[in-house]
Amino acid sequence: MMGRTIVIDPGRCIGCQACVSACRECDSHRGKSMIHLDYLDQGGSVASSPTVCMHCEDPVAPCAQVCPAEAILVTPDGVVHDADKSRCIGCGNCVNACPMGVPKIDLEAKLQFKCNLCYDRTSYGLAPMCATVCPTGSIFYGTLEELRAERPGVEVASTFDFDGSIISTGVAMVVPKGRPDQPLPGGAGEHARVTGSPQPAGHLEPSADNVLGEPL
Amino acid sequence: MRPVIVGIVTALVLCAAIFLGSRGLHNFDSALAPYAIASVFLAFGIAYRYMVWISSPGARRLFRKGWGAALSWQNLRRTPTALPRMIATYLGFQKFLGARSRSRWAAHQLIFWGCLLAAAITFPLTWGWFTFTANTGAGPQYTMNIWGFGVVKFDALSVLGWLLFHGLDLAAVLVIAGATYFLIRRMRDREASTGQRFGYDLVPLLALIIISVTGLLLTFSSVFLHGGGYEFLAVLHMAAVVLTLLYLPFGKFFHIAQRPAAVGMQLFKYTGHGEIRQCRNCGEPIDTTAYVDNLRATMRDLKLDFDSLAEVCPRCKRLRRGQAYRTTVKPGF
Repeated sequence: MMGRTIVIDPGRCIGCQACVSACRECDSHRGKSMIHLDYLDQGGSVASSPTVCMHCEDPVAPCAQVCPAEAILVTPDGVVHDADKSRCIGCGNCVNACPMGVPKIDLEAKLQFKCNLCYDRTSYGLAPMCATVCPTGSIFYGTLEELRAERPGVEVASTFDFDGSIISTGVAMVVPKGRPDQPLPGGAGEHARVTGSPQPAGHLEPSADNVLGEPL
Repeated sequence: MRPVIVGIVTALVLCAAIFLGSRGLHNFDSALAPYAIASVFLAFGIAYRYMVWISSPGARRLFRKGWGAALSWQNLRRTPTALPRMIATYLGFQKFLGARSRSRWAAHQLIFWGCLLAAAITFPLTWGWFTFTANTGAGPQYTMNIWGFGVVKFDALSVLGWLLFHGLDLAAVLVIAGATYFLIRRMRDREASTGQRFGYDLVPLLALIIISVTGLLLTFSSVFLHGGGYEFLAVLHMAAVVLTLLYLPFGKFFHIAQRPAAVGMQLFKYTGHGEIRQCRNCGEPIDTTAYVDNLRATMRDLKLDFDSLAEVCPRCKRLRRGQAYRTTVKPGF
């Protein structure tokens, strides 16, 4: 994980959507939210979980690796940036290669957009918008030492297991104290659970129009 | 090694085209030689950089699929207008930019058409492909020749004559307007200035403005100063153009060579017989079947072994990971 980074604790998330609103309000995003907030088991539980870009370190940024247009830049500080607007062709490779389900795509604008750790803020030492407004500390920004000063003895993990493929990330997640040092489950393979939550914006029909944007 | 060879071959082909097009250098204007030499280096640079680009697995596979879709006889018969329409809307009128921002679209169109006009005039001129001849010094009957063949006869003082001789001035006005908009945006807009790099984001705009302004100053010098300072301005303009041409393949301008991939990509999806791959978990459409298969192959090329996850929609990936955390890491939070 990076020095100063985001640490997520889904156990603290109350699903208030403050992070989504704050992300949308950032004037470098123009009303688009890059963060995802998912209700994990709608109808069964109030559990929710925020997802920012995990800034994969090893293998480094699968989204950037599969990009056919060399549009995704990874800066030396480990931040995986959103697509370069002059290069992105809106193919969606990054959207579907990302094991975390992070990048979004605007089919009409032929442009990907995703969390860039609020580079406009973090490169000046400010916390990202989501971490700034999170009322419960579910999204924390800082170093591990700063996190431990607030939450003594807290442990974090920054590797994920996707059915045998291990990915280490720049963003970390809180794990219970005393948990053996092993990767977090990625939810693939044996850990895959069929989730029954309805799509928030309604179900899309599997037609070509819904994946091509405007065909011509 | 292959990119170098392809680069050299491309440069040699251009040299041969210059030699033949200028009728064995008979029509070649030696005063413009630095521009012509720079364009040969440009040809090498573009071909070299293009080959390096399409050697990465993602670009290589899409390159093949895109050209496969474009050159497929079956696709051509089924949808003969698809390719020309996509070229017009994507590459010419850049409709996708309008969906990003109307003002950016307008400014980019100014730069695009200005640069296209300038390139269409200067490259053939510097290669000795265009020449102008007249029977008399006053030239009431100017003839424009392409490859030495007379094509258009016009009066030098007519509107057509004025437009032909001031084409580059018009192009400069278009480019200055567009590039100034983008330069101001880069200084004021938080979205644009986030992570911007001087060499990548600002140098191209400054280069376009410097080329256009020095070009307009040449006309200014000849019209208002009786040619005063013309030689200095000509060298300044030439230096700006030559340096920009050499920089073109290695910076932001390379998107000019990359953007046609958007047409190849869309055509590849469009000709996928309407077969859609749905999320294994929830049934949401992910992309065309052929496209998802192509992505999975790219991921396997890159040793990204989790390629089967490409058949799960982003939301289900997040939900599954969240549920796995909830059941096995921090039970029942």
